[in-house]
Amino acid sequence: MRAPAGATPPPRVPPGTLRRVFWRCLFLQAAWNRRGMQNLGFAYAIEPALRALHPDPARREEALGRHLQFFNCHPYMAAAIVGGAIHHEEKVAAGVEPPSQPLLYKQTLQGPFAAVGDGFFWTALRPFFGALAAVGALLFGWAAIVAILIFYNAIHLALRIRLFRAGYEKGDAVVAEIARLGLPVAADRLRGAGAALCGVAAAVIVARSAALAGLAAGALAAVAAALGYAALARGARLLPTAYAAALFGAAAAAVVGSFHGSR
Amino acid sequence: MVYLVLALVAGLAAVERKGFLQAMLSRPITLAPIAGWALGDLQGGLLVAAPLELFWLGAVNLGAALPVHEALGTAAIAGGAVLAGRALGTGTSPEVAILAVLICAPLALVGRKADRLVEAWNERLALRAEAQLAHHHAGAAVRANLYGLLLPFGIAAVLAPVGAAAAEVAIPAVLRGIPGAAGPLRVGFFAFAAFACASGAKALRARSARALFFIAFGVAAAAAAAFGRFRP
Repeated sequence: MRAPAGATPPPRVPPGTLRRVFWRCLFLQAAWNRRGMQNLGFAYAIEPALRALHPDPARREEALGRHLQFFNCHPYMAAAIVGGAIHHEEKVAAGVEPPSQPLLYKQTLQGPFAAVGDGFFWTALRPFFGALAAVGALLFGWAAIVAILIFYNAIHLALRIRLFRAGYEKGDAVVAEIARLGLPVAADRLRGAGAALCGVAAAVIVARSAALAGLAAGALAAVAAALGYAALARGARLLPTAYAAALFGAAAAAVVGSFHGSR
Repeated sequence: MVYLVLALVAGLAAVERKGFLQAMLSRPITLAPIAGWALGDLQGGLLVAAPLELFWLGAVNLGAALPVHEALGTAAIAGGAVLAGRALGTGTSPEVAILAVLICAPLALVGRKADRLVEAWNERLALRAEAQLAHHHAGAAVRANLYGLLLPFGIAAVLAPVGAAAAEVAIPAVLRGIPGAAGPLRVGFFAFAAFACASGAKALRARSARALFFIAFGVAAAAAAAFGRFRP
């Protein structure tokens, strides 16, 4: 159906404003609080788009009020919801959707997207790159850290931009787009690979310990790793166990040293 | 001056950790070398970077749960190790590093408690933003979001140099007071670092984490023994 001649085109957010919103998405958690969680961050991020869509201050304030309501999601995945909320706000501004629609969209997707984001980014991708960077640092020094950091952020920022675009262009269909990424399967593989990298790091440390302080020191480090894993698996608390590991190493080395000294 | 530099590094890391970006710049693996470099000893920061990253690999912000403040702990440990090494005139050695860990690591728990204060402060900011919007000050309402960055910055900028200063005073005193402690403490550092690897594997919560960790450890250790690699 063609629009009648002289009809106003539906309001669209200019590309420059979209870029500004994306930049502001990076501050989503700046004022994270227990009451509204990321509410203030969301309102801050989407505000330039609302200014472009609602020239009337009263309607703009009403829209801003909608986005000051409770919101919480994974900070990377939230980019898709910010994009999608703008998609719906454009329709609200055009009068084809009720003002409650952007809020409904946010409320529906924030929980599932948070679960996907926590499961992939926070408990798989970032720890994997952390372990990879640790092994890289042990073997090759600071240059490995820089390279791995660039690689991680190329992935992280590309995904964040892609999610924002998909949300904005596809609205509700962003769910299918995210499902296509297969993040949960990739997360499982990354977690396994990360655990293996931790094993490699432990071997490097044991070898280095043996080279610097003798075979007994290497053996003590290996024992600390094995006993430490067993203790943590049984529910031991991290910091006290770390103190125990360090003091065990030092005390055992002192005992071994005293035997050597007494000969 | 060194304390001001450390304060700036720690404060910016605390902001990046949650309030802005989250690009791994505040993770121990990045922050420790940056802190070391900023204080004039990149290698000192690198010495603690990998063990601290693996030790705190599970420190992630899931939902409303608050993890330990690994950035604050790292800034204090790296700063304390570098400053103590300089005070001793030996540079940052494993024995200096392990003492810095023992002295400063609890700051990560203090940081978690401080994060509760930050959340309460942010709640007041959100309430104020709602009130400002009700009074038609939309611009001021959304700008309030950025004020949420101030308190995390301030807390880390104060606590990290305090922790580092404590390490700078205590570590030379211990190592000069007990000259025989250096050797055992060096082994203690490697025991901590090896434990940190186990902690990282455990934090990954992979289905077969234990098997993968020990198999990879065995294979890499055998390779190291066979080829004599992995030397510092």
